[in-house]
Amino acid sequence: MKTWPDKPTYLGKFHTRVDGAAKVTGAAKYPSDMQPPGWLYGMIYRSPWPAAQIDAINIEEARRTPGIKAVVLSGDLPRKVRYYGEELAAVAGTSKQACLDALRAIRVEAVPLPHVVKETEAVHPASTRVFPDYPNLSEPSVREEGDVDAAFAKADVTVEGYYTTQVQLHHSLETHGNTVDAQGDEITVWASTQGVFSVRDGLADSLNIPQNKIRVLSEYMGGGFGSKFGAGIECLLAARLSQAAGAPVRLLLTRYDEALAAGNRPSSFQKVKLAATRDGKLVAYEMESFGTAGFAAGGATGGGAGRAKFPSPYIYKVPNTRVKQAGVATNAGAGRAFRAPGNPPASFGMESILDELAVKLGMDPVEIRIKNDTSEIRRKEYRIGAERFGWKQKYHPPGSSADIVKVGVGCAGATWGGGGRNSQAEAQINPDGAVEVRCGTQDLGTGTRTVIAMVAAEAFGLPPEQITVRIADTRFPPSGSSGGSRTVSSVAPAVYDACTNAVAELKSISGMDNVTGDNWNTACRKLGMNPHVASGRWQEGLSSRGIGGVQFAEVAVDTETGFVKVQKILCVQDCGLIVNYLTATSQVNGGIIQGIGYALYEDRVMDAQSGLVLNPNFETYKLPGMLDIPQIEVILLDMPHRGVIGIGEPVHIPTAAAVANAVANALGVRIDSLPITPDKVLAALGKVPGRPERIASAELKKAFDHFNRMPVVAADEIDKFALGAPV
Amino acid sequence: MKPFEFAQAHSTESARELAGRHGRYLAGGSDLLGELKEYLADPNRVVDIKTLPDSSAIVSGKTAWSIGTNVKIAALANHPGLQDQLPGLAQAAAWVGSPQIRNVATVGGNLAQHSRCWYYRHRDIKCLKNGGFTCYAREGESKHHCLFSGNPCISPVVSNLAIALTALSATVTVENGKGSNTMPVEELYAHAWFNPLAHNSLQQADLILEVKIPNGTNASAYVQASEKTGFDWALVSCAAAARVEGRRLLEPRVVLGAVSPVPHQVQSANEFLHGKTLDPGLADEAAEMILRDAQPTVHNAYKIPLAKTLIRRTLLQLTA
Repeated sequence: MKTWPDKPTYLGKFHTRVDGAAKVTGAAKYPSDMQPPGWLYGMIYRSPWPAAQIDAINIEEARRTPGIKAVVLSGDLPRKVRYYGEELAAVAGTSKQACLDALRAIRVEAVPLPHVVKETEAVHPASTRVFPDYPNLSEPSVREEGDVDAAFAKADVTVEGYYTTQVQLHHSLETHGNTVDAQGDEITVWASTQGVFSVRDGLADSLNIPQNKIRVLSEYMGGGFGSKFGAGIECLLAARLSQAAGAPVRLLLTRYDEALAAGNRPSSFQKVKLAATRDGKLVAYEMESFGTAGFAAGGATGGGAGRAKFPSPYIYKVPNTRVKQAGVATNAGAGRAFRAPGNPPASFGMESILDELAVKLGMDPVEIRIKNDTSEIRRKEYRIGAERFGWKQKYHPPGSSADIVKVGVGCAGATWGGGGRNSQAEAQINPDGAVEVRCGTQDLGTGTRTVIAMVAAEAFGLPPEQITVRIADTRFPPSGSSGGSRTVSSVAPAVYDACTNAVAELKSISGMDNVTGDNWNTACRKLGMNPHVASGRWQEGLSSRGIGGVQFAEVAVDTETGFVKVQKILCVQDCGLIVNYLTATSQVNGGIIQGIGYALYEDRVMDAQSGLVLNPNFETYKLPGMLDIPQIEVILLDMPHRGVIGIGEPVHIPTAAAVANAVANALGVRIDSLPITPDKVLAALGKVPGRPERIASAELKKAFDHFNRMPVVAADEIDKFALGAPV
Repeated sequence: MKPFEFAQAHSTESARELAGRHGRYLAGGSDLLGELKEYLADPNRVVDIKTLPDSSAIVSGKTAWSIGTNVKIAALANHPGLQDQLPGLAQAAAWVGSPQIRNVATVGGNLAQHSRCWYYRHRDIKCLKNGGFTCYAREGESKHHCLFSGNPCISPVVSNLAIALTALSATVTVENGKGSNTMPVEELYAHAWFNPLAHNSLQQADLILEVKIPNGTNASAYVQASEKTGFDWALVSCAAAARVEGRRLLEPRVVLGAVSPVPHQVQSANEFLHGKTLDPGLADEAAEMILRDAQPTVHNAYKIPLAKTLIRRTLLQLTA
């Protein structure tokens, strides 16, 4: 079994990105930059109705629009649409304006149907149905351990609360889309994707073309966060447009489209009850939840409801636990995997009620976590973090400051899998000593290319700059999709295997005992005329899975304006063997910033009357800007003996919960609903006339009454989420 | 967007003539381009007025400051003389958008900008302001909407400069075809109070030429509350200006933004404050008067306590 070197030269060090210069100069070409000869713009015509029966679509005038080369329909007619933005047709033309004009020339005969977009309304048995034959609310699944009712009856202290989380949009900076050249027998796709092979296979299946006739590339791409796995309807439409027009088509979603039909993190409405002994040991837990993953959450879509579920009671083990969860369909775009699916809402609910319990018990929030967290690593991280953060000095009883701007602190923990899986790679060594490493993986912006260069450099004893890394091409050795925080833990072992194999093979070809480092060029010259290619695959033992992290937040809350400013986040994260300290830290920074967005700003707003998304732009769907980003401190626990483990997702999970706990600590009242915006803060402080202080309105309580009248089924899949199943 | 002609104006007369009955003026474009792209505006001609002569100056005169219509927001925000003499105006400018927007957006454009209501701006919604029949915000998502309105539309004025300039008793000069008409800044919005279709009182082809701020105040301030730290619209904004002697306020004006289709001021509150020595209690009394007739929706009652806080903070800055 191979092992990582004991005293590495490059691994674990800071290394700037090998493609940094190409990215900042624009030399790096993304799928949205591709301009193959004769290329056309592509755009999608979407349903302007949240629900409608579509009888006919007239595309004749669109076809005649100047500059338009192809128009195709999406799906057969008649059909029903179930959300605002559902794809109906697509056009390709010589300019963006030609496409926009053509979209406006499309005429649709449709009968608008009633819609429902608000979760608390959709759960009502008499609500408008998204699918006529099924209630919107799926059958709740129940998981029960121990004797919950007896444990609550006996418990010393019980706390209850309602918590809600919003629908969050991925909003990768490069939108979904592809440039597709499908003119001939072979199709080339430049895809903005997390999986070149999954795009290839999806497209081959849709077009009924052999997989070996499709080549997918994604040399550079602008982010996915879980929403860019498959080929996607936009890829299929681009391919059909390209075939119809006889020209390459570049079809990237607009930012507007991105807010409607490119995935989201489902909402959650949680009713939570937690009990403990007087000394803070958790004894009983009950949680009921529903949430919407849009139209795909209904009973008709077989298992789709699972996407609104989440692990509960998250990272804690409570001996007597009852969890009941369901999804509720609404006329909105479907949910998709989103950076640690299920985990951030789970963390927000559980870590919030845990702090409520700590307050009631008069316990320090860090102590109650150390007491109840079964992970030895996280307990250690809490101790390290508390020391570094100055928790003992900063923590005060909730709301105890008399100031107008109150400062508070909070903490929360997270878990994830992040283990590797089958991946292949190859290393080509050339007679002049130049090395090319090839792997069919993707770099989502996380630094995969740089990490591959560092691993190869380690094996060859060469500087990373001397390695040429080629990735994201279905002609390269296959590697899995980049998701579940599994890219580096899959790819690094495969590359290391290929490169160490190359070294061994070069030894035998050259007859030299030592071919690495200074001997490299001499050994390579002995290859004569023929480059040598060595293969490798993922190895057990070079990676592992299952990690924990904790975060501490410090916030300042203006009690007169409700404005929350995050002042500091400290992250202590276990991540096995660190490959590149710099890109690992960057991942943490990104996860925290996205977590702050979830905590304070981001919220897809649906309009109940029209059924439309009201904020399909960055003006009113608010992302953190530079001024909103706090001081971020990252402590990575280097555990090389565990091998490589991914950290992209876990570092995003606990941020919102830690921020929410810090806000509650500052104010002495809890904002039980994300995002924590000034209007909610002022309401929680009792300052808004006519508005309740807590989220648990009569409407929400009524929604849970409906929820509890539904028949239930046994849980089968809730636990799959707990350790980060592949996404 | 629909095709249009493009023309450049080199005089106010030619600007008006070029704009005609269906043209729109283009300055920084940060508002107009959005409306064109969303098909909210379909002018037959876009008239570039950046080319107007003598329209980009900030001049400190004997009786007033004058600010040309094409002065960039960034120039206002960064002008040392304004920062010193009219801090309320410089602060209001500094809160506009992002550095990139401030570098292109202009004074005239900021004053004449249209509603940011998410129903009005939506490509698939035809609301009252857009020629439809209903103000959807009234029964819908109204977090960003008005506490006061004289008509069924509750989309608020969002020009930061309008709020600060109203507090500073500024006037705006508009070329309206019958000559140049000078009016108080608040009058520029009067139509929006009673007419749901109006964003301001400008008629087709009316052209803002300049803004004049009379000398006479020696204290001004602008305070804005937003959800984000920067590059965000105001939930509520407040501007105040006065002549301050010691801690006494003379002829003070307190104005709220983002709560009404017009810069919101209550004359009796201004009169109440006049001649009085400012302290937090007095400011709170004025705030009560200014918010007394507020008519919140389901989602925007938070603006009432928020506005009261901003009024107190803004007034206290005057004597700080």
